[in-house]
Amino acid sequence: MLRYLTRRLLLLIPTFIGITLITFVVIRLAPGDPAAMKLQAAQGTISSDRAALEVIAQTRKLYGLDQPISVQYISWVKRVLTFDFGDSYKDHRPVLEKIAEALPITLLLNVITLFIIYVIAIPWGVFSALSPNSVLDRLSALILFILYSLPSFWIAILLIVYLGGGDHWNLFPIAGLMSDGAEKLPWHGQLLNVLWHLVLPVLCLTYGGFSFLARFSRATLLEVIQQDFVRTAYAKGLSRFRVMVHHAFRNALIPQLTLLGTLLPSLLGGSVIIEQIFSIPGMGRLGFEAVLSRDYPVVMAIATISALLTLVSLLLSDLLYLCVDPRIRFERKGK
Amino acid sequence: MRWVTSFLSVLFLSQCQFQVEKNSQELVSRISLEPDVLNPILSTAASEMEIESFLFDSLLKTDNTTLEFQPNLAEAWEISSDQKQFTFHLRKDVLWHDGRPFTAEDVLFTFEKIQDPKVDSAMTRSYFKDVLKVEKEDDFTVRFLYRYPYFKAIHMLGGFQPLPKHLFQDEKVDFNQHSFSRAPIGTGPYRFKEWKTGRSILLERNESYWGEKPDIQQLSFKIIPEPAVALQLLKKGELDVLELNGLQWARQTDTPAFRKSYQKHRIDSPAGGYGYIGWNLRKPIFQDRKVRQAMAYLIDQQAIIDKLLFGLGRVTTGPVSSATDGYDHTLPLKPFDPEQAKRLLKESGWEDHDGDGWLDKKGEKFQFNLLFPSGSNFYEKFAPIFYENLKQVGIDVHLQRMEWVAFIREAEQRKYDAMIGGWSGGWPPEFYQIWHSSQSDQGSNHVGYKNSEVDRLLVEARREFDQSKRDAIHRKIHRIIYEDQPYLFLFETPSLVARHRRFQNVIEYKMGLDVKEWRVNASLPD
Repeated sequence: MLRYLTRRLLLLIPTFIGITLITFVVIRLAPGDPAAMKLQAAQGTISSDRAALEVIAQTRKLYGLDQPISVQYISWVKRVLTFDFGDSYKDHRPVLEKIAEALPITLLLNVITLFIIYVIAIPWGVFSALSPNSVLDRLSALILFILYSLPSFWIAILLIVYLGGGDHWNLFPIAGLMSDGAEKLPWHGQLLNVLWHLVLPVLCLTYGGFSFLARFSRATLLEVIQQDFVRTAYAKGLSRFRVMVHHAFRNALIPQLTLLGTLLPSLLGGSVIIEQIFSIPGMGRLGFEAVLSRDYPVVMAIATISALLTLVSLLLSDLLYLCVDPRIRFERKGK
Repeated sequence: MRWVTSFLSVLFLSQCQFQVEKNSQELVSRISLEPDVLNPILSTAASEMEIESFLFDSLLKTDNTTLEFQPNLAEAWEISSDQKQFTFHLRKDVLWHDGRPFTAEDVLFTFEKIQDPKVDSAMTRSYFKDVLKVEKEDDFTVRFLYRYPYFKAIHMLGGFQPLPKHLFQDEKVDFNQHSFSRAPIGTGPYRFKEWKTGRSILLERNESYWGEKPDIQQLSFKIIPEPAVALQLLKKGELDVLELNGLQWARQTDTPAFRKSYQKHRIDSPAGGYGYIGWNLRKPIFQDRKVRQAMAYLIDQQAIIDKLLFGLGRVTTGPVSSATDGYDHTLPLKPFDPEQAKRLLKESGWEDHDGDGWLDKKGEKFQFNLLFPSGSNFYEKFAPIFYENLKQVGIDVHLQRMEWVAFIREAEQRKYDAMIGGWSGGWPPEFYQIWHSSQSDQGSNHVGYKNSEVDRLLVEARREFDQSKRDAIHRKIHRIIYEDQPYLFLFETPSLVARHRRFQNVIEYKMGLDVKEWRVNASLPD
């Protein structure tokens, strides 16, 4: 076990270098130069003011872009090892400071979303697995497929116009996570204010996720239910509840763990579309704006952190298999 | 579970306050992108400059009606007879928002920082590239030396916004990273109050302002990326002013309820820009003037304005804004006339010789790539129409859509055949950057237009200090470019603004609205 763990941990190093190197090269291959872009002020139109090449060269030097890309990569790695991701080209603030501002917002949104997704999806899946192909199951499949195929940007705009806009019902706020001036409210007022702001974005983020997960847990549970040990459990005279919860459901958890591996990075990722539409300053918008303005340090930091988290959570879910199912072993048998 | 429900019921039963009343003395407007910095020499985006115009004073200001210069930080100014020396006499009663006096030292310091290569001031630096030096005569007199006589020099120097030198004394702090950029101190009619990252920026009235104090107590700039969401916020009363797009102006704000609370303003500014299709003159097909002229007969500009821009636009025949006297109104707009286009193309040798439906000349088929930036609703609709029109006469256009940054790069590298673009305007207008042949390899003359007569006129205009004479030169330039057709000029679009009726004394000036003179009448209903 220890040997397996060390091997996995050591393998992280080359994988990590590979990922960051490719990202580093790819974002520099994308057309556009952050230094030249400083001179193209106006959006949508090219500014007619003089674009002095000399000034661009000075700015490239200021950003360290005048050096060969290999040198840039090595100095980037050196700094990252001390957890210094450099400064953003846009406002010259440390990248980590910018991430530290955006991250709690995205985390709040995603934790609530995931919680709701699981709370709805698992019981829904189990429920429809209990009587497969019944009218109710088919109806639920239809509903879930419809939900899954509704594009979230469209739903978001519909919700904004009909539930939060000025023309129809004006029930919910549609921008940001807190009203301006809400800081002066007592703590429970602030809490309610935030919850009130969360209603529409969380709604948009959840429905696609739970429709997928409900179908998934239905399928895995169905597979388990048809196996011999479930029949044995019934034959022993156990109640339906005991069979389902203690025998079938626990076995159905294993495929869920595979999904868990992608969970951690997605918690931090943030949804670009939802954050953009609801004016939420989270990780999605930070990353999106960084890419558009070729803010290399920010793009690299976000890519690195999510790569690291993906690697760690893949390892974690592999280790969790061991806890859930004692039959799984990673070391070779025989010795 | 029980404590959760009891907790929630306590919250709701206590009828606690969780909504925030809007402050009617505050003007809330929208910015689509968060500013990076609020430091006039570092900033590059339009939204940053807008906010800075409330925080910082410039040396001179322009009168809203006459567009003439008026004293501001400088109470008087002199221009030497050779038009190279500019002396500004500064006011002695101006205080920074932190109470320290404003002096000539601040002007000198700001200029020194603009020139410093370690400062990320690329845009400002290139803007003031032709200032040779700045010197101070005494504590309240500064003199700028310009490299050569240039009519726009006084406009550039008059717009100069000084920074407070005394706040940058710590040598160890990098100028680019200085906390000033996120908590600026100026001399302007508003002072910085709060920056909520990703959410909003708040300014409050400077009660000890040296000049005339504005009536509105607070200005709030909310960061709302999506235009559709911004309109809903306006309708909910959470925004007070909003720039509208054509669709919103024509179709989504035309209800009695909207008109009751809001008034709409349309501004056709002489500093506005225009859209165009640029023909890369380095490509053999576009080197013949007749071909370029033929293209102008293949688009029905007025129909496009009516259908795609909801009638909100003006056709244009040249690079000069039609709201200025430099525009020659006698030049007729080329009508939509495919037959005329075919005739012109035939004269230059383009005909369907092999009968395959496409024009050809010496065995070459008439085809080209039309480049345009993605993300613009208008271009996405306009490009296919143009494609159809050209196909009718036998020209094969390949539409090529690109992300904005990639699009810019294609233009800079002069790689495209033809592209749909737009120029933002400026005041006073100048055409040197876009049309002088010296700008063809590196500068903004990306189509590579070269005409020695235009070159001569452009240089002449730079040294002409009389506006009406400059207008006469611009009309000549307009006529030559109209004949040469290096661009197919499309249209000028106005700026469209909706404003809450609570604000009064709102005057539509040529250049737009001036928030500083608005008055609040809080007694008006929402």
